[in-house]
Amino acid sequence: MDYATLDALRAHHPAWRLLRSDHAALVASFLHRVFVAPNVRAVAETDLAEALEDELFALRQRNGDEAFPRPALHYLNDWAAADKGWLRKYYRPGTDEAQFDLTPATEKAIAWLTQLAERQFVGTESRLLTLFHLLEQMRDGTETDPEKRIDELRKKRQAIDAEIARVADGDIPVLDDTSLKDRFLQFTQGARELLADFREVEHNFRQLDRRVRERIALWEGSKGALLEEIIGERDTIAESDQGKSFRAFWDFLLSSRRQEELSQLLDHALNLGAVQELEPDMRLRRIHYDWMEAGEHTQRTVAQLSQQLRRFLDDQVWLENRRIMDILHGIESKAIALRQEPPDGTVTTVADITSDIELAMERPMFTPAIKPTITDAVLQSGEMNVDASVLFTQVVVDRARLTRHIRNALQERTQISLRELITTQPLEHGLAELVAYLQLSNEIFRSVTDESVTDTITWQACGDDGHPVTRRADVPRILFLR
Amino acid sequence: MDESFTPPATSSAPDLSVLLIGLLKRVQYREDDEPLWSALLRLQARIRDYVAVLNLELILDEAEGYAFLKSRAEPGEDDPSPRLPRLIARRPLTYAVSLLLALLRKKLAEFDAGGSDTRLVLSRDDIVELVRVFLPDGPNEARLIDQMEATINKVVDLGFLHRLKPSTGTSAPTNYEVRRILKAFVDAQWLAEFDARLSNYQNQLANSGVRT
Repeated sequence: MDYATLDALRAHHPAWRLLRSDHAALVASFLHRVFVAPNVRAVAETDLAEALEDELFALRQRNGDEAFPRPALHYLNDWAAADKGWLRKYYRPGTDEAQFDLTPATEKAIAWLTQLAERQFVGTESRLLTLFHLLEQMRDGTETDPEKRIDELRKKRQAIDAEIARVADGDIPVLDDTSLKDRFLQFTQGARELLADFREVEHNFRQLDRRVRERIALWEGSKGALLEEIIGERDTIAESDQGKSFRAFWDFLLSSRRQEELSQLLDHALNLGAVQELEPDMRLRRIHYDWMEAGEHTQRTVAQLSQQLRRFLDDQVWLENRRIMDILHGIESKAIALRQEPPDGTVTTVADITSDIELAMERPMFTPAIKPTITDAVLQSGEMNVDASVLFTQVVVDRARLTRHIRNALQERTQISLRELITTQPLEHGLAELVAYLQLSNEIFRSVTDESVTDTITWQACGDDGHPVTRRADVPRILFLR
Repeated sequence: MDESFTPPATSSAPDLSVLLIGLLKRVQYREDDEPLWSALLRLQARIRDYVAVLNLELILDEAEGYAFLKSRAEPGEDDPSPRLPRLIARRPLTYAVSLLLALLRKKLAEFDAGGSDTRLVLSRDDIVELVRVFLPDGPNEARLIDQMEATINKVVDLGFLHRLKPSTGTSAPTNYEVRRILKAFVDAQWLAEFDARLSNYQNQLANSGVRT
């Protein structure tokens, strides 16, 4: 804790930088609400941006428009940038959208901030007992002398016997309310901390993975030595202290007996009068499921990391990568030299990623292109008194009227198909009007198209000879929705 | 044993057809269809036999989770075996596209060395930045960007970049994922050939005495 270390931490540690930031209040409150309080691990970019936009909107209402002028996404990307490091932005397989998660540093800063709020009282007794138990476990767990071990067990048995005798006599010691509250607060804090730890565990795994990769990438020795190193490193992650401890935790939590026991104990504890006085968060009742969920997330990360590391350590891939980097170096220097005069035309070829097999019979048949030949192209001077209004009395589809039709129909019902609509409001301009409806279904109204059903729409039109004719069009079923 | 045993071969025949047709059409990714992928692993040997007739070879990378067909290497000059026509075409690439492929390959290698994520996602600006150093200096920045756009589209067409759907309601620039299949096509051999071409070209330039 000397000056230099703290000075470096102040400059570089994301948690401290968060606390120093002008936006600390916004960042901490927002991230606490979205990630920590509901114990969420990953949030999609759109959802997070939307939530932040809401928050910013509320802040602008209160503090004026200048408070946080930039769009939400801008802030999120800024917070995820390397120089801030408050959020981790990554792409999960199977989705095209970026995901965000808290970094452990941010979680620490937020946890420290929540501690600033005063607690009802600080349980000291239960904490002392926990510490005492830890020391006892360490002593018992390392004792190899059977004599001493048996002695210890006998002592415990005597204590239990004595307690049984006391209870049999009717002397039943009960924890008083204060002790109960003390223990419960200790439990709540521990449970929350455990959740917070998962992020850090995952982060540690990631760091471990990174260190191994760096070491391999910088390796300068022979291939034999490399292989030796690789074999040694294969299970680095699973065999690290972090990996073993995590696995033990996971096995413990996964046993169904333990889970049942936990559920029962939690139910019992939360039903105690003294505990209810504390108005505990009822989500605590299912805290072990939250642990499971967070643990599973970490478990997946570890599996993924191990698999990738193995792939990366595959000696062939590694040697190829090396060679590729060498060649690329050459290509880059040549490309720089050729900057002003890049080669024209085809430089390389690459095998197609697909082979489109086009069978002769599946190709469209040859159709001769129609070339209009204009034989009489003598322009004649026009007469002055032609009625130009013919040009302007072409069909005009009144889109506002069509819109009104749809609106009216949707006032009485939640949806209407285009066919029904046209039965009540016959088409006046035939096809042009039908097309206008189709446009409206895309532009103004919410609509769905059911390709599996075909609706026939009919209308009256004027035939070539001036007599009315009925025309029809088959369209997929289109439903306008309210 | 007196029970008659019928080989299960017939039951897997539809799978085989689906797989073969699929492979002839496009790269098969594990993440796209897990059941199909496991069928592929199971029927690997039969697929290999089958495509060998077409002078093709099945390349299957279990770790990366992709599989595709490749023309088998042509026989050498002194090899008497007959030369077969290619079923899978080779696409000619311009200098700009070749260079971008090489640079993306480098980025992918660096990404694998440095991080633990599987998906390398670059924004359009990242890609432009990657290439900018190698482009001639000119006052017309906009034209340069337009050309880049065309190059990127070409690489998307080739199947080595995948345009991510922009998240709804945001006006963020388009992001591209560098598909890991790039590693299989832009390998050391390809890069060495590209390097050799550039050397040749450089020599030609020097010999013809063109100076800038």
